[in-house]
Amino acid sequence: MTTFLTYTALGLVLGAVYAIAASGLVLTYTTSGIFNFAHGAQAMVGAFTYYQFTVAWKLPAWAALIMVVGLLGPAMGRLQHAFIMRGLRDTEQITRIVVTVAIMLGLVALAQWLWDPQEARVPQMLFGVDRTITFFGVTLRYHEVICLFVALALAVGLRALFVKSRLGVLMRATVDDPDLLSLTSHDPDRVSAQAWMLGSTLAVLAGVLITPVIGGPLEANALTLLVIDAFAAALFGRLKSIPLTFLGAIVLGLMNSYLVGYAPAGWSWVGNLRQSLAMIVLFVILLLFRNERLRGAATRSRERYEVPPVRRAVMWGAVFVLAVMAFRQLIDASSVGLLQLGIAFAVIALSQTLLTGYAGELNLAPLAFSAIATIAAFHTGIHGEGLEARLSLGGVVVGVIAAAVTGAIVAVPALRLRGLYLALATLAFGVFVSSMILRDIQEHTLFGRTFAIFPNGNLLFPRLALGPVDLADDDVFLLVSAALFAGLGVGLVALRNGGYGRRLAAMKDSPAACAMLGQRLLWLKLSVFAISTAIAGLGGILMSMSLTSVTKDHFVFTVSLSLVMLAVVGGIGYVSGALFSGLVAGAGLTAVVALLNNAATERPEFDGALGVVSHLVLVSAALTGVGVAQNPSGILHDVFARHRTLAKAPEIRYGAIVAQCVLYAFAWSDVLGTTSFVVLSLILWLCLPQIGAALRPAKILGDRPARATPPELVGIDSDYPSDLASRLDKRLGIEEGVARVIA
Amino acid sequence: MSLLETHGVSVRFGGNVVLDDVSLTITPGDVTGIIGPNGAGKTTMFNCVTGMQPLASGRVVFNGRDITGHGSGRRARLGMARTFQRLELFLSLSVRDNVRVAGDIVRANTRKRIDVEAETDRILGLTGLADIANENVAGIPTGRARVVEVARALMTRPKLLLLDEPASGQTEQESERFAGLLRGLAADGIAVCLVEHDLPLVMSLCSTIHVLDHGILIASGTAAEIRRSPAVIAAYIGAEGAA
Repeated sequence: MTTFLTYTALGLVLGAVYAIAASGLVLTYTTSGIFNFAHGAQAMVGAFTYYQFTVAWKLPAWAALIMVVGLLGPAMGRLQHAFIMRGLRDTEQITRIVVTVAIMLGLVALAQWLWDPQEARVPQMLFGVDRTITFFGVTLRYHEVICLFVALALAVGLRALFVKSRLGVLMRATVDDPDLLSLTSHDPDRVSAQAWMLGSTLAVLAGVLITPVIGGPLEANALTLLVIDAFAAALFGRLKSIPLTFLGAIVLGLMNSYLVGYAPAGWSWVGNLRQSLAMIVLFVILLLFRNERLRGAATRSRERYEVPPVRRAVMWGAVFVLAVMAFRQLIDASSVGLLQLGIAFAVIALSQTLLTGYAGELNLAPLAFSAIATIAAFHTGIHGEGLEARLSLGGVVVGVIAAAVTGAIVAVPALRLRGLYLALATLAFGVFVSSMILRDIQEHTLFGRTFAIFPNGNLLFPRLALGPVDLADDDVFLLVSAALFAGLGVGLVALRNGGYGRRLAAMKDSPAACAMLGQRLLWLKLSVFAISTAIAGLGGILMSMSLTSVTKDHFVFTVSLSLVMLAVVGGIGYVSGALFSGLVAGAGLTAVVALLNNAATERPEFDGALGVVSHLVLVSAALTGVGVAQNPSGILHDVFARHRTLAKAPEIRYGAIVAQCVLYAFAWSDVLGTTSFVVLSLILWLCLPQIGAALRPAKILGDRPARATPPELVGIDSDYPSDLASRLDKRLGIEEGVARVIA
Repeated sequence: MSLLETHGVSVRFGGNVVLDDVSLTITPGDVTGIIGPNGAGKTTMFNCVTGMQPLASGRVVFNGRDITGHGSGRRARLGMARTFQRLELFLSLSVRDNVRVAGDIVRANTRKRIDVEAETDRILGLTGLADIANENVAGIPTGRARVVEVARALMTRPKLLLLDEPASGQTEQESERFAGLLRGLAADGIAVCLVEHDLPLVMSLCSTIHVLDHGILIASGTAAEIRRSPAVIAAYIGAEGAA
């Protein structure tokens, strides 16, 4: 009985911490309509900072608590609101998600820079482990009792805030109609800033409390994923109700605790199951939700994408393949792998172009489906041994189908609901794949077969051989990957220009109108989700073939999120946006960091400075997503728009092509280094509109009529004619001439 | 023979009774009007008929078939189409593609070989949209945007066409042309039903008029009968009827 009570008490404590985290999440969501994916990362920063203060700098706990919970928490929330969240009005859900995801990735990169992940940091309980209190035979430490009391106080306090207090009512009003609120002389910005400060403080508080409760060292990724447990709890309350959120948190905490206490000793995978418990609960809740009603909601968001005709896409596809082949001549054999990886990532990112750019649905874990495809292909399609091992086409097909089927299964519970739920479900699935499937590395026996899903935690993944074409040759593989990307890209553009693509656009723009034309929305969503995860699976197989040896770290959720984020930064509605995302995430960042490391080895005196720069590159790359609030259609959208101004001056484009060829000749004859070639080429094409405007102003700028200044801005700078002035004076009943004197 | 019947339809939002026991019929080949002051429940009535609003009680029968539990898409596939008071156009598509996508949907649903291109051209011509076919739908004026919604609905070859305030935002010329279009559609055997505030238009166009007030059906009949109905004059036309 005491054992049971002890596990119950420990479950309640864990539930209390989840509740603190989840209530912060619900608070910011209900008051700003923005779901904060960075919530867990903020908790993580809080936990690390608290550790830094108490252990490294030996401050007393109370002082550290004041600094972290009293200052850092509110400050983070205030900054977030001031710099980012205000710019997100009239944007699509994906833009909102990407901004908070960018903050999350930025904070994780920052934490790994400031606090070396190799070093174990074990935080202490408040008041230490020895101060205990015993209650019905259950011994609880002071820290655990504090958790319970804080959660209890919050439950009562938040309820009172929302229902009784003026601020709470204002917070709710801010979500419903900020414009109406400002008409009643309140400042919706200030109200939502307060909500963000409070939410961020709760995140930090949960971060400080949780690690000693779970035990073990501080771990940036694991703490960041606290957000998933918080989601699951918040879903109990449909992301709205604080009391139901608390109930959900307690249920989660208890399940976790009982699982540890009562699972049979033989279940070796229980440790992994515990990590995915929140995700399983999340899916069950999503299944229980009722269908959402169709509502008219065709609002004009700020995102814009142009759809190119198929013929132009074919031309660019050919240009791309040629460019890759030409570029191959400039780099040494050791760098080819990086380029291959970049293209593989670009194929994975294409799944996002279709799903999010064309259909408006979300998937935050494309790499999880890549992992599924890789595993399926590995188990079914390999023949030969050692260096002679090859993947068969059948293996590729099985992998792609496995990814598509898994995609459909994952999407079913969430597709009936709003886009945000799909984002949550996919992220949770990504974590499930990372923490259960990719950790299934020991052999075990099931139904008489002995197997491991991810043998030894490292798959040796051979390349495809198809008749005479053997991709084991790096150059052949590069050509095939580039051609595959180009082909898929053209296929997507053709799809978007056809009936299916128009139906996707219709569903994205107005689900209600689309349904009223007879479209089965669920089937359309399901089919596009399955096609997109199939593409992600194909990209994943490409990625594994290019790496030839993959571990679970290649599919980790942060890489998925970076890829999604960069696709949005580039332009999620464009095939070229996917290419941008893949090349930056797969090749660009690694290349830059490698370049900096090489420089540091050559010039050891700059080692420290270059190290800082390379960390800064990673943090700022993560933070680029924050910029999408300003430019939600993506960088490439603007680049294309500026290039269209050159349409009237084709000679500028021909000149640029010639200049590009000259650059290439220089690079080929080793006059230019590869890096200089890439940088100069980028500058050439990005600045071409400006160069064109400077060289041919008449053609490019001249036709544009000089915009006339509107009369109300010019004002009236001539005197009234005297008869008009006196007539005015008479009408106004003033003495003649007075008005002129005043003037 | 009526195409659509509602039997005792009631809707509540919380404690608010928005529709109370409304029974009405719509017949093919007719233009039926639903009028009533703001907040009378007209758009809610459309939402009930099209499956966008669950009923508290009552039944909806379409073409002799009880469709009360059906979703919107299923009702649309049975031959129902509507336009929206607050326009629901596909803003990333051109005018032509807005109409064409309806044909794409029908073709995907029925798996029939329909010539969507030709049908789109026909509907664009019929509704007088050919001149702006290639413009982006986000840039056109409200009056014509409403016609785009009608054109899109016509692409599904509906038996019942429900129009929610189709004339608002139209110029006098546009709305005259529009009335002609609706008469033509009714003559082709389509049941046309409109919610409208433009009373002269409703009176001249509709052969049957239903009047809603505070969620209650207070009168049904021809324009002449409605004009004479004391309940209608008291509740609604009172001020305007005198003018």
